[in-house]
Formats: sequence, structure tokens, C-alpha cells
Amino acid sequence: MTSPKIIEAENLTKVYKGKVKAVDHISFYVDEGEIFGFLGPNGAGKTTTIKMLNTLASITEGKAIVDGKDVTKNPAGVRDVIGVVPQELTADDELKGIENLLLSARLHHVPRNEAHKRAKDLLKLVDLENSAERRVKTYSGGMRRRLQLAIGLIHTPKILFLDEPTLGLDIQTRTKMWEYLSKLNKDEGITIFMTTHYLEEADSLCSRIAIIDHGAIKVSGSPSQLKEKLGGDILTIELGAGPDITDFLKGIPDVSDVTRRGQAYRIKLPKTEKALPAIVEGVTSRGLQIIEISFTKPTLDQVFLDVTGKSMRDEDAGESDSVMQNFVNERMR
Amino acid sequence: MFDETLALTNRALKKWVRNPATIFPGLFTAAFYLALFGNSFNPTNLIPTSSNGIPIPPAALAQAKAAILTTTFGGAATYITYLTAGVICLIVVFNMAFGGIDLVLDRQLGYFGTLLTAPIPRAAIYFSGVFQNLVKAMFLGVLTFVIALLIPDGLILTPSFGVLEFLGAFLAIGLLGLGLSCLFTAIALSVRTIDSLIAIVNFLNLPLIFMSNALFPSSSFPGWLKAVSDVNPISKADEAARILIVKGNPSASGQLGTVTGDLLYLVGFVVVMGALGYLVARRALRPE
Ligand SMILES: Nc1ncnc2c1ncn2[C@@H]1O[C@H](COP(=O)(O)OP(=O)(O)OP(=O)(O)O)[C@@H](O)[C@H]1O
Ligand SMILES: [Mg+2]
Repeated sequence: MTSPKIIEAENLTKVYKGKVKAVDHISFYVDEGEIFGFLGPNGAGKTTTIKMLNTLASITEGKAIVDGKDVTKNPAGVRDVIGVVPQELTADDELKGIENLLLSARLHHVPRNEAHKRAKDLLKLVDLENSAERRVKTYSGGMRRRLQLAIGLIHTPKILFLDEPTLGLDIQTRTKMWEYLSKLNKDEGITIFMTTHYLEEADSLCSRIAIIDHGAIKVSGSPSQLKEKLGGDILTIELGAGPDITDFLKGIPDVSDVTRRGQAYRIKLPKTEKALPAIVEGVTSRGLQIIEISFTKPTLDQVFLDVTGKSMRDEDAGESDSVMQNFVNERMR
Repeated sequence: MFDETLALTNRALKKWVRNPATIFPGLFTAAFYLALFGNSFNPTNLIPTSSNGIPIPPAALAQAKAAILTTTFGGAATYITYLTAGVICLIVVFNMAFGGIDLVLDRQLGYFGTLLTAPIPRAAIYFSGVFQNLVKAMFLGVLTFVIALLIPDGLILTPSFGVLEFLGAFLAIGLLGLGLSCLFTAIALSVRTIDSLIAIVNFLNLPLIFMSNALFPSSSFPGWLKAVSDVNPISKADEAARILIVKGNPSASGQLGTVTGDLLYLVGFVVVMGALGYLVARRALRPE
């Protein structure tokens, strides 16, 4: 019997060379069959966490269980069930795409026939069928990343670690990559642990996410749970001339806050679907005309800003941190 | 374990074969050393052709040269014949030492990460490093032998030099190479940058070479240097290979015992270096 929790981390801590505390007592779990996202700015400790889970980095303190095996005590057992797609591109330049895949298959003890078949399927999945016989040094960055994904999957791992799988990809390729990942997750039941800086990536792919910053998990949950924490949806309703109905709106159950500017009301609610009928009914029964109605769901960007905090970031923002910040700001506009 | 080692060695050699240009520096060095030591430093060319203005008769000169070759250089037909075994050793040692650069690159480019998260024994990474270096260096060693043969008045073999002598000479050099490959692979796995590898290699290489009889007969060394040279595995490989190359059949020249002794010594060297290198490599491949 496997536990539904396929990865469990408890107070996981990494101190590099006795100085840099890259990961600081984090605890989380990943359910079997889900896509779990680790979201955070540069230097947050994402790669370090992955390296502790995939046996590349020693664990300074705390404990990690992967597929029922203690990572420190049974690293070989962990290596049997994982696939790793690192942040750097590590495929061998001098070898052909297919040779890279077959070598990795051999190192994972995949029988020869199976390896050829699997390689073919994967090359098709990542749209590299026609480049399989070319040396990797002739590949573009996007092709390399796609090949890297295929290499990580050649032995059909139970758990796939993906460190920024879409780094440096254009938007089409990135969307393609998301398709591959959801497909693998659904069709093959592969549990995926991924890191990313891209908020919309985590939003669209992951069933649960954790936001990490300065080596600590700031918040975790499903994307919708996290958005809910911000107070839910915002309904904006603009009415024709008439009396102030702020008090009426505030009286509706589920409405958490109302602000008025002229005849435009900004209503904060956890679930628009529940409160909307009552609002519309109240407005029309007062003989008021609805000119415009719209609602926005909060984005993960907002959650991200909320938990990593702009001011907190600014104190010690390094170059890379401010790049991240600019990125977030840009997306907020 | 065996299959993974083979797969990784195969990968490295495939890369090597696909970049034939990397062989040229090795070839050039071999030719350069043979030409440099074989001509400029050729001690038989140092005999003056005249003494006090009186020219030495060519016959006497030839006799003196022959006498030097017989007494100091083990009866070699030419100085290059004497030198070939030493230059092959030198080429093997240098290529072995710098062969580690590929391993450092593999680490720097993150390729090791892929290997270390795969379910393969760590020893496979170490042994594939050892074998890929050995194959590359031995290939150049054999090429050096061929170049020496092609040089005019270069390597001149005796009629009793046959396949067995050839294999024996390269067995001695191969064992030396294997032992050194264990040492240098362990070093390459332990360092993080090419700069530090080169620093260590340079520090080790020159003393290893010059404190051996590879380029100069150890009989001309001061006592302490001769003592060091006598235990240096390079001297052993060089001695065995030289006897076989210069004299041909060692039974005929009564030196079978020396050759066998050298080979046994080298087997011991391989065992010690293999074990030591493995321990160092295992440490170097632990999680960061
Ligand atoms: N080998 C190492 N030795 C010392 N410090 C390290 C090492 N690797 C990472 N660090 C430090 O640990 C911290 C976390 O780094 P990590 O690579 O885990 O971040 P990350 O979240 O993956 O960032 P990015 O988004 O830039 O990839 C950083 O401060 C980094 O400088
Ligand atoms: Mg990272």
C-alpha cells in the first residue's frame, strides 16, 4: 500500500558550507498523482529543495520521505522511482537527441526494445521526431528544453521533478509544455513536483502550490484557496442615478466589503455566484438601472505580492529579485 | 555496474571520436618530443668532431657513438630507439592527466547531476572515467610508437621483436596508464574547476616524469633521485617497455626476470591506485 502522500517533507533545512541557509525548516507534502508547484523568486530555495528531494544535496536538518523511502537513509530507493529535469540543460551536445534518450534509458535499466518505443513516443510528444537524429548542439533552446523533458521521462518515473521547465521558452512553446505536462499527469498518472517563477503557470497546471521566499514557505494550498485568502472575487457594479445603497449591499450575507465611488460600487465577496442573485434582485426592486456589471477573480500575482510583500522584498532585493519584482509589477498592470 | 560503466565509457569515447581534431595536439606533442629529444638532446651528437683542431676520424667518431649507445643506452640501435618507450610513457602520463578536463566539464555543465540522480552505482561513474582516459591515452601511445617507426633513423626494431614483445611493452605502459588514470580520475572528480585541475596536474606531472628514467638513464642520477626513480611506476613501465623495444625477445637478452618483476610491480600499483582512487571518488560524488 502506498500512502496517498507520495512526498513528505518535515522541517527540511539546508545550510550550504555552514553559511548560506538556503532552505529553512520547511514542511509540506505532495499527494500521489497531483501536480505540485513550488513558486518563488530567484534565490528563494526552490532548486535546493528539489536537490534535497532527488538525492543531489544532503539534508542539513529535518526529514524527507519520497515514495515511502527516507531520502537520507535510502537514496538508491528514491533514485529508482524519480525522474529529474534540472534547471540547467544537461543533454550531451555531441550526442544526437535519440542517443541522449537511449543512454538515459540504459542508465535507468529500461530494456532495449521498450526504450526505443518509449523514446519514439516521447519524441513525438515533445515534437522532436524530425530532429531525433541531429546532434543536440544544433538544437535551439526550446528544443533542448523539450528534449530535457523527454530525457527525464524515458524510464516512466513515478515522480517527476521539474525545475523551471519553461524557463526561457516563448509563449507558444510554454503553452505546449503545459499541455505535455497535463497530458503526462493525466494519462500516465505521473506525480509532478515543479518549480516556477511564472505565476500563471502554477495557476493553470498545479492542483496545489506553495509559495517560498527566503527559504521559507509563506503560504500553501490550491490556487483557488490561496486566492480566497485574499478575500475572494471583486464585483463592480455601476448603476443609474439613485440613492446610496451601500448599507443594503453590506447587509447581504457573504459580502465582505463595499466601497462606493459615485454610483459605482466595488463589492468584495468570497463567492460571486452565491451573492450575485440577491444583489441584482435588491437593485432592480429599488428601481435602479444596472449600467455595467463586471467581476474580477484575484490572480495569483496578487497572492504572490501579498505574501512575499513588496516592501519586504525591497529591503534586500538583489538584482535578480528586482527582476522578479518588475516581472510581477508588469503583470499587475 | 558493468553495463552502466560500459554505457558511460561508450558515451565519452563517442564524443571523442566525433571530434577527431582533439587528437592532433596529442600527435603533435608526440612528434615534437621525439624530434626534440631525439635530435637536439641526442647525446651522441654532442661528441666534438675535432679535438685541439685535429679532426677526429669518422670511424673513431662512429665507434665512440656506438660505445655510448651500448654502455649508457642499453645497446639501442639509435638514440630514438632508446627514447621511444620513455616518450610513449610521457605522452600517456600527460594525456591521462589532462583527460580529466572532460570530467570537470561534465560536472560544471550539470551532466553529473543527471548521473547522480540515476539509479547507477557511483563506482560506474568513477570506472567509466578511468577507462575513457585509458583508451584515449593508449591510442596516442600506440600512435607515438608508429611515429617513432616512421622517423628516418628513428625507432629501429631488432628482428626478435614480435607481436608478443609489442603486447608486452604496451601491457606495461597500459598498466601504468590504468594506475595513473585511477589517480587522475579521482582528482578530476574531486575538483570543481578546470583551473584547479590544471594546477594540480602540473604540480604532479613534471616531478613524476623527471624523477623517472623515462628521458634520462637513472644510472646518471644522484643517489636520492635514483632512489625515487627506482620506485616510480613510470620507471618500471619504461624499463619493461624499453627492454622489449630495444632488445626484442627478453629471454634471449636474459632480462625476462626484470620485465616480469616490473609488470608485477605495476599490477600492484594498479590495485593500490584503483582502491585509493575509488575511495576518493566516492567521497567526491557524495551529495553536496
Ligand atoms: N552550491 C551552493 N553553495 C552555496 N550556496 C548556494 C548553493 N546553491 C545555492 N545556494 C544559495 O542558496 C540560495 C537558494 O538557491 P536556489 O538555487 O535553491 O534558489 P532558487 O529558488 O532555485 O532560485 P532560482 O529561481 O534563481 O533558480 C541562494 O541564496 C543561493 O545563493
Ligand atoms: Mg533554481
